Amino acid sequence: MLEVYDLYSGYGKIEVLHGVFLRVSHREIVCIIGPNGSGKSTLLKSIFGLIKPYRGKIQFMGLEISQKDPEEKVALGISYIPQGRNIFPSLSVLENLEMGATPLRDPLKMKKAIQEIFDHYPLLEKKKRLKAGSLSGGEKQILALARTSMIKPELILLDEPSLGLAPKVVDQIYREIDLINHQGVTFLIVEQNARKALRLAHRAYVLDLGVNRLEDTGEGLLQNEEVKRLYLGG
Amino acid sequence: MSSFFLQTIFNGILAGCIYALFAIGLTLIYGVLNFVNFAHGELIMWGAYFLYFLMDRPLNLPLSIAFLPALCLTILLGLGSDRFIFKPLRKASRLTLLITSLGLSFFLRNGAQFFWGAEIRTYGFEIKRGMKLFGVSITPNQLAIIVSSTLCMILLYLFFYKSRMGKSMRAISDDLELARVMGIPSDRAIQFTWIIASFLAGLGGILLALDTNLHPGMGLINLVKAFAATLLGGVGNLWGALLGGMIIGLSENIAVLLLSPGYKDAIAFGIMVMMLLIRSSTIFWPKE
Ligand SMILES: Nc1ncnc2c1ncn2[C@@H]1O[C@H](COP(=O)(O)OP(=O)(O)OP(=O)(O)O)[C@@H](O)[C@H]1O
Ligand SMILES: [Mg+2]
Repeated sequence: MLEVYDLYSGYGKIEVLHGVFLRVSHREIVCIIGPNGSGKSTLLKSIFGLIKPYRGKIQFMGLEISQKDPEEKVALGISYIPQGRNIFPSLSVLENLEMGATPLRDPLKMKKAIQEIFDHYPLLEKKKRLKAGSLSGGEKQILALARTSMIKPELILLDEPSLGLAPKVVDQIYREIDLINHQGVTFLIVEQNARKALRLAHRAYVLDLGVNRLEDTGEGLLQNEEVKRLYLGG
Repeated sequence: MSSFFLQTIFNGILAGCIYALFAIGLTLIYGVLNFVNFAHGELIMWGAYFLYFLMDRPLNLPLSIAFLPALCLTILLGLGSDRFIFKPLRKASRLTLLITSLGLSFFLRNGAQFFWGAEIRTYGFEIKRGMKLFGVSITPNQLAIIVSSTLCMILLYLFFYKSRMGKSMRAISDDLELARVMGIPSDRAIQFTWIIASFLAGLGGILLALDTNLHPGMGLINLVKAFAATLLGGVGNLWGALLGGMIIGLSENIAVLLLSPGYKDAIAFGIMVMMLLIRSSTIFWPKE
């Protein structure tokens, strides 16, 4: 579904990715792990088009998309959930979902999609009038996932969903990801603390210093001695 | 004494209404576009002069007919300054935008001076006696100020909290990049922001000029007040701007009870400097 071929990207003169290769198949959960500053977020931003790659290819469902804008990619069915701030804090939970529903265009469809989300996450419905900024970290992440899955994208690019969350909450987030995946959504997830992500992932890559070093199944990387020592903290 | 005090409070609220109109526009532009538009004051001033132009020779239009076209011209001026000046600089640094808006402000002020001279003008209405209400005198113009700014606040509330475009503008003001990521069309929202900000500036400028007078420097002095109100209310915060405007209006008028009226404008300036000292100046420099 997604193929990244020899991708070079960065910020102005600062090249961060020096030739990244990557493949994500339909309905897969693929995880990219790697240390701080290795270029994981840069990779997702490049795929989504927030920064334009210098060279290399990005193909999505057979279409060359490396120079397309984020808006076009949303239309093609790619969604991106950034690292850290990924909700509108001063908007209410409901308004966040309404904004998330923008690509659906039709007000009736929007309403229906939001009601489905509320049926699935009663907690969000209970808090729909509250400012999203007042939610807990886990609730914010759920809100971000909910408003993204609501528009039924083909592929979700997810940057560090577990950032700053307690282990129990991380488990919950990953259960949600698994659930959404079973509804047919493909995931490309970036993680720094990666054990849980690797357990869920069908396949995974290690990214370090802007190139990918290893590729294996999630379990495979979890068992890999070098990966354990270097990237999973022993 | 008590009716004198009531009159002061009333004058404060009156001034506060107008400052709030200015401050909301300023804070909107800041929230959505992330820079302080120093030319906002000139939209205020030009709004007032547009009306003057339409009511003066040779057109001699009556106020009721000239009012809306004057506002439309102000909106065009705002949209034009975005289209030809700020839009090409969308990706520029905050400092560039700040200096550009300062330049635009000088240009527009001198432009008004070129056409109408530097002297103080009025729309030429005879001053109507105010009616008395609880010992407070209210002129018809002042009543118009209160009614129309209250109406504006209600409409703004409905727009920002009930309409999709209004919600998008709040979302963009929260986080432009996230809005883009979510496919919220930002170009139209930015245009709408200019329309609303210019409309409020023009309306406020006209109301102010109806109640007092016009001169090319009226933009700058009111920019200071709007800016102080914006800082008080938290930059980018709509209701904060409303509240800030009221506080500035009230404190100015109450201070006149204690100080000579000549110091009136210094109050807003003092509040502005104080707030800048407290908040440092993250509004001029990108946040780290
Ligand atoms: N906007 C930017 N401008 C310039 N350089 C940047 C920018 N954002 C990131 N970088 C640099 O690019 C490199 C990779 O950053 P990136 O955010 O992709 O890392 P990451 O793997 O996501 O790290 P983390 O785990 O901390 O999120 C870093 O050296 C960083 O300093
Ligand atoms: Mg990152």
